[in-house]
Amino acid sequence: MLRIILNKKLTFWTLLCLPALLMLRPYFFGDLIAMDMLHPTGEWSARFMIAAMVLSPLLSLLGARPWLSWLIQRRRALGVAAFAYATLHLVFYIIDMGNLDDILAEFLALGIWTGWAAMLLFVPLAVTSNDASMRALKAGWKRLQRLVYPAAVLVLVHWIFIHNNIGPALVHFIPLMLLVAARYFLPRRHIFKGA
Amino acid sequence: MRLFTPLSLAAVAAIGFASVPVSATGVITCKAGPASGWKSEKALSDKLTKEGWTVRKSKVDGGCYEVYGTTPEGDRVEAYFHPVTLEKLYVGRRGEVLFRKKGY
Repeated sequence: MLRIILNKKLTFWTLLCLPALLMLRPYFFGDLIAMDMLHPTGEWSARFMIAAMVLSPLLSLLGARPWLSWLIQRRRALGVAAFAYATLHLVFYIIDMGNLDDILAEFLALGIWTGWAAMLLFVPLAVTSNDASMRALKAGWKRLQRLVYPAAVLVLVHWIFIHNNIGPALVHFIPLMLLVAARYFLPRRHIFKGA
Repeated sequence: MRLFTPLSLAAVAAIGFASVPVSATGVITCKAGPASGWKSEKALSDKLTKEGWTVRKSKVDGGCYEVYGTTPEGDRVEAYFHPVTLEKLYVGRRGEVLFRKKGY
């Protein structure tokens, strides 16, 4: 019974929505302003992006594990969640800035244009995260989805320079970098050999 | 077990970086003594409002008052003020330095 509930698509989507519900609550109650929402929405977007990105390296390193396969089956949803939180992040940025002049005035700051560029790269990834696009694009789908790597670099630069603080960004990105590097530098494990 | 090396490295790195204090961004530090000798945040925001600023939010960072708002000239900025003298020490826009007092 638990397994059936756990494997429902709706369950996973609900899980992905949970951080948003928790962070939006104080905003709607007026305890937080739009500016305060920038950090949590951006951070969760990066987290979901990283979660989607570490699954393949983990599979190469650990071999097939039930929990890993469970997550890999839901990887597209993780990516779409990253996009949804990034959209929320952008909406709160626009609410916070309030007018186009202020947005344009800071557009060229390193911490800002990198955020816009990452968002731009996220769009085609999110739009094609469905079965129909996968069928239509065939091998091109995987090539297209690799845009997530430059997007991740942009996100990292955006995070570091918006905060003048390298620590929290690295906490999230160092595990990703190590896993991606390990995938290339360590001998591969036979994925389908008994786990 | 070599397969777990990157994982354990990642864990160690994560713990190491997580223990870096995240409260101070390190842009500006004020050595202004105990907070009992400070002027209030409200005094600063009243002063700034009178000078034509719009204050959106303020907090303590690195022992200074950090203010998010709009300058009288209309720039959206993040600015630091000395908590005792309320003197302007730093004005920046998303990490781009617009003003920095000598010695800070």
